[in-house]
Amino acid sequence: MFRSLEHGVAPGSSGRTAGSDEDPMIAGLLPLLLTLTAFLVPPAGAEITARNVRFVEYPDFPDAHSSWGSIGFSRTHGKVFVGVTNHRDRVGLYEYDPGPRRMRLCGFIADLANLRDFQWQAKIHSQIVEGPDGAMYFTTDGGESREEYLMEHPRGYAGGFFMRWDPATNRMTNLGMGLPYESLKDLAVDQATGLICAVSYPQVHFLTYDVRRNRLRDLGRLGSDHVPRVLFSDWWNNVYYPDWRQRLVKFEGDTGTMIFAGDSLPAFPGTPGEYIVTGITAYARDPGAGVIYLVTYGAKMLAFRPSQRGIGEVEDLGGIFDSPDKPAWNYYCPNLALGENGKLYYFIGGHGMYAVRGESIVLMEFDPASRRKRIVLEYPLRQISEVTGSDVKDKQGNLYFAGRRSDPVAEERGESGASRPFMIVFNPAREP
Amino acid sequence: MKKIPFLFALFLAAVLGRLNAEYKFFTPPGSFAVEVSLENSPYPRLPAYRNAITSLAVVGDWAVGGTSAEKGLSPFLFAVSLSDRRMAYSVDLKELVAGQRAIRSGFGAGATGVLYCGTIPDTAGGDGHLLEVLVEGRALVVHDLGVPVRGQGVFALTADPGREALYGITYPSGQFFARDLKTSTTTLLSDTVPGERDLVFLQNYALEPADYLCRRLIQDRKGRVFGSMPVNRLFRYDPDTGRLSVLEAELPEGWGRRALGRVDAWTMAPDGALYGGCAGDGQLFRLDPDTGRVSNLGKPAQMPGMKGLAFAADGRIYGVAGGAPGYAHLFCYDPAAQNFTDLGNPRFEMKAPGIEQGIWWRGFQIGTLAATPDGRQIVMGEEESLSQLLVFPVGPRR
Repeated sequence: MFRSLEHGVAPGSSGRTAGSDEDPMIAGLLPLLLTLTAFLVPPAGAEITARNVRFVEYPDFPDAHSSWGSIGFSRTHGKVFVGVTNHRDRVGLYEYDPGPRRMRLCGFIADLANLRDFQWQAKIHSQIVEGPDGAMYFTTDGGESREEYLMEHPRGYAGGFFMRWDPATNRMTNLGMGLPYESLKDLAVDQATGLICAVSYPQVHFLTYDVRRNRLRDLGRLGSDHVPRVLFSDWWNNVYYPDWRQRLVKFEGDTGTMIFAGDSLPAFPGTPGEYIVTGITAYARDPGAGVIYLVTYGAKMLAFRPSQRGIGEVEDLGGIFDSPDKPAWNYYCPNLALGENGKLYYFIGGHGMYAVRGESIVLMEFDPASRRKRIVLEYPLRQISEVTGSDVKDKQGNLYFAGRRSDPVAEERGESGASRPFMIVFNPAREP
Repeated sequence: MKKIPFLFALFLAAVLGRLNAEYKFFTPPGSFAVEVSLENSPYPRLPAYRNAITSLAVVGDWAVGGTSAEKGLSPFLFAVSLSDRRMAYSVDLKELVAGQRAIRSGFGAGATGVLYCGTIPDTAGGDGHLLEVLVEGRALVVHDLGVPVRGQGVFALTADPGREALYGITYPSGQFFARDLKTSTTTLLSDTVPGERDLVFLQNYALEPADYLCRRLIQDRKGRVFGSMPVNRLFRYDPDTGRLSVLEAELPEGWGRRALGRVDAWTMAPDGALYGGCAGDGQLFRLDPDTGRVSNLGKPAQMPGMKGLAFAADGRIYGVAGGAPGYAHLFCYDPAAQNFTDLGNPRFEMKAPGIEQGIWWRGFQIGTLAATPDGRQIVMGEEESLSQLLVFPVGPRR
């Protein structure tokens, strides 16, 4: 069923570890390269090779350690935004312009948002979401153990903030804190009213923040001992999150109330409880088809068809990876995007759970119509060790992900793995 | 190149090992969580925003809880079977008494397994009720015993089965009352009500009655009732004389925080000494009920508050310190060794239909704690929008 790839450098790869867009030499040759690229573009429908994938480095942040779900696309400005961190106390906000292929550091959020030392932030874990005003919204996170345990101690974590970045003026607005001592893991933004929904860590509280009225609501705890990391919304601006039974909980944007699904999302038999409670790890929306594709922490691919009222229907599309070597639920996939060809793409692997023996990251293609899936590319951990990002794509059909590569040198920079972050651009139809 | 996966695995093992070392939760063998609350549930469960477990007692095999609801909603009484580890019965209080929001008084134990509690009305000026609660046959039976004090709720309550009397604190006025269950008459004492100067002082700190009224009452072996009153004082009520006296010794105080002084929880030692927990700064104290002497035993956690205390079979006090906006620390105190142990954040396995494989449940906001009559189990109730019950066993005295 799967095409077997030799472990190591993927076929077609030049062997280069990543495209270094900020390399001054490459930058100088950019016009020539762009011209050559035009002749090198594979025709639509051609086999996907490593040339369909491009790596983009983050400049001006030598001690960058990682990126998380912290990536989003601005339709208004046609740019990608990524949060990159040293996973300790410096969080950079990056802007990528696909036209000139330019990645730039907008600044570090502590400086941009007038945070004091005692308001240190260790990362942006949330998606970076465009609001109805064209600004990009995100939340901040304490990241390290000191966030969870020190609390009220002077070395403790004050709490995560809501932030607004206006790409038009290059201005950050600090929208204030959520809950004391709690990180804010993810958010969703109502595309009509601008209402922000967020979830806190570690106490799994569902919050709403009305920016216009400066009104924060704590709708209470929804999870058990592990916080599901992903919120997502439908085209009616309803927001979804799972409870500890992996049942969808819907926040209705127009009524401000919560609805709990009666049934849990599908899971493989034998899925351990800690995988159930962690819920959904990634999503991709297909508004035209009325479907939101979901990946669960228990490695299921689901097609969710929301309804404006009530919860909607869920279709089980099977596992994200099939192998006799491991239980079907034991694959980690915190990323998903839908290609222009109607196929889903996702990278499997990370946090100690890998699809392929020898621990490498695989890029998968999943056809929702036929439910066929295949490995399209494979990367050693020194090239890609983990990929995050949901539903980030531009009008050219480029899919964007926040990537990390294994880097033992970075081990001392923080917890949660030693890595170097970079951005991944993937286009299944051509060289991005 | 082939060394990279191996090196990465080594690194991963080191990192995960480090994380594991940091993420140690209190999970003793035999501990478990009971799913009490679940919105839109096909099983007997309490719905969201009506289930904060603010009163808790154990009678035989039954953990009996009383909840608090959000404004406009009504609370529940419920019973969990500890041997079956399941929610068994619940009573929606609005079916019995309308217009009530909270059962936060704690339970007073009557004769033959009967429990008593009081309610807080949903609207200011409403009447709180006294309730009699009993697990009987295959049902949780609740009787409305009427209104002890018009226009007031019941903030704290204890029961004297020998005298067939209930003693309580009214809300929001803070009066002490004695209710004769035989005659259904109430005697009111205003000694516990803050005076005008006290109210100005408390208002300077933007405190409300819910912040400074005595949260729990206790009786000593002689049937005398002990509680706290603003500002930072302790009182003793003698039912034989009907007199209430203010003790000379004050509650342990964190300097500058007198306004926050009140008793959050009580428990009685086998030798009759009373142990209490302070709301303002989270100190544990010992009170000699005869001499009125107060000993400050210190505090187990940096955070304020001590919402639950109980003696267990091993001779130790188990308690809950701290809470929102942080999260609770379970602790134990050994009176013999005069030693605190911070047990940290409890994390127990919850199994129920639909989650047969079990999930881990962390007790972040624990509002109540009780011991089984034999002291071999400690039961804790959460104060959340969806609250659960956490239970762990305690060994015999060492």
